[in-house]
Amino acid sequence: MRAPNEFVFATVQYESGDWDSAPLVPANITDSIARYTSIAVQPSGAIVPLASPELLRYPLAFMTGHLPVRFSDAERASLRTYLERGGMLFCDDHNHDIDGAFHKTATEELGRVAGPLAELPNTHALYSAFFKFEDGPPATGHELNGWGDNLIHKHLLAAMRGDRIAVLFSNKDYSSEWGYHPENKRFLSVDNTRFGVNVVVYALTR
Amino acid sequence: MWWCMRSRADRGRVALERALRAASVALLAWMLWTALRPRATVTGVDVAREATLPAALARWSTDSRVRSAHVLLDTAPGALRRDWLAALAHAGVAVGWSSSSAFPAVALEARPSGDPAGGARVLVAAPRNATIALSDNAGTLTDVHRGTTGAGVSFALPALDGPARAQFGVHGVAGAPRDSVLLRRVVVLGRAGWEAKFVVAALEERGWPVSARLSVAPTVDVAQGTIDLDTSRTAVVIALDSTAARDASRIMRFVRQGGGLILGADAARLAAFASIAPASQGARVRAATLAFASAAPRRALAFQALIPKRAGVIALETRDGRIVAAAQRAGVARVVQIGYDETWRWRMSGDESAPAAHRAWWSALAASVAYRGALPIAVRATDAAPLAHLVGALGAPVAVPIGSSPAERQGIRAWMAIGVMVMLLAEWASRRMRGQR
Repeated sequence: MRAPNEFVFATVQYESGDWDSAPLVPANITDSIARYTSIAVQPSGAIVPLASPELLRYPLAFMTGHLPVRFSDAERASLRTYLERGGMLFCDDHNHDIDGAFHKTATEELGRVAGPLAELPNTHALYSAFFKFEDGPPATGHELNGWGDNLIHKHLLAAMRGDRIAVLFSNKDYSSEWGYHPENKRFLSVDNTRFGVNVVVYALTR
Repeated sequence: MWWCMRSRADRGRVALERALRAASVALLAWMLWTALRPRATVTGVDVAREATLPAALARWSTDSRVRSAHVLLDTAPGALRRDWLAALAHAGVAVGWSSSSAFPAVALEARPSGDPAGGARVLVAAPRNATIALSDNAGTLTDVHRGTTGAGVSFALPALDGPARAQFGVHGVAGAPRDSVLLRRVVVLGRAGWEAKFVVAALEERGWPVSARLSVAPTVDVAQGTIDLDTSRTAVVIALDSTAARDASRIMRFVRQGGGLILGADAARLAAFASIAPASQGARVRAATLAFASAAPRRALAFQALIPKRAGVIALETRDGRIVAAAQRAGVARVVQIGYDETWRWRMSGDESAPAAHRAWWSALAASVAYRGALPIAVRATDAAPLAHLVGALGAPVAVPIGSSPAERQGIRAWMAIGVMVMLLAEWASRRMRGQR
């Protein structure tokens, strides 16, 4: 039985595209939350349809994919309600490509629901919510290796509700960066999921 | 001269007729004199009814010969007339009052709400079975039937324009808040989690200034604002869970100062709060329904049942016979303990009204215990307890002075007029029976 107030990493299932392109991310981030914080977590994540009222049970939701995104009317309405009530959507472009289909279509769809996405200042509280990231969002191996659009994206994008992030959009391809089995963290000199901890802690505290 | 010869009986009748005529003329003359004489020349008790009170007050105030006055009231007079009568009494006029029926003992108190959204709470004491119409300067607010039990009626008003007025038939009462609550900070202490996040959000959205310290790891907190556990800056502390143990001694001192405390289920288990927690923890109760129905949305929340620890604990909310929220005084402060630990689900998964209802619920909870710094505000004179004010100004009601009431005077005049008519009729009939015209 689920204990009260356990954090559950929820992945959004949307009708178009490949929503399940990063199946290892939830377990890896959940592992990091348990490893670094005292936040109670549920080991298994959840997959929740974007158009379902079940989405409202998970105030932080993760969305990723490579393919073009088109939300249905029901998905847009559900996401709008979710954001209005205080939910936060973290959307990562698995293509790591600002000219890619996912980026163009997802930012357009999210902009329709949440308002235009703008660059998030690298001094934002997100970058100091738990670990300190002085230079903003940490670069990923895919960026450093020149894959995708061959850019290191200096900012994340965000749509705000008041002074709080409602939608966080990344072209960094954290879906690939964090997509490995948690056991393999021991081979890393610096845990690259630490920024994922910041996203979760920010969502839980702001 | 046969017609000159009167019998002994005729002479008697003539004398009687003359006597009747004289008496009639005398009575008419007296009635004319009493009708035309100036009232101000009265030196006895002058009696006025409610309708004639304004003129009577002017007369009693300007004629030094008036030594005693009496008012027959149907309703309690307004503050102006009451104070005028009191001033007359202080000036040496013996002022008394009476009523044909007992006045209802009604009173009204308006208090500012402790909620940042504003509004007021109006408490009305009224007779049983009365229908109370509550209004303010903007119009009628509500009608409510008082019922046969209870000690009064309490209205929570989202806004109040000017004084609140309650009307029960012909009797009215009015009152306005005399101070304004100084809004101070709410401090939320807890673990990083959805409950803490949405409690902070709900209170901020409602207008409360909120400081928070949310524990993320054993040595890491996310802080918002300053945590001053002092009533000069903070009105309420919300301790959601056991992370409040770190501040237990400061919280206890805050409560001793009069600060309000809301204990979540987990926090109430701390030994440090055992002396002030209203209840101990019972079994965990599952949600009664799966969906958040708008009529009773919190039935879809699980909770920790509360068992009152001592006498005097007030159950604020119950479900199916189990206590969900309880309150008790701790010295001059108030402490509320709640069994819910996932109210955020109500806000997120409830119907359209859920976010606002969640905000209002938490805000009302905070306002109910908040330390209230009050700022006096200028209010116009109101009539919050008319009967009490009347008795205070003029004393208890006294009997109407005999022979002095206007009704009595009117009755005497009517009987006198009838007497005149009877006497004149008798005199005329006597003459006609004697064959005279």
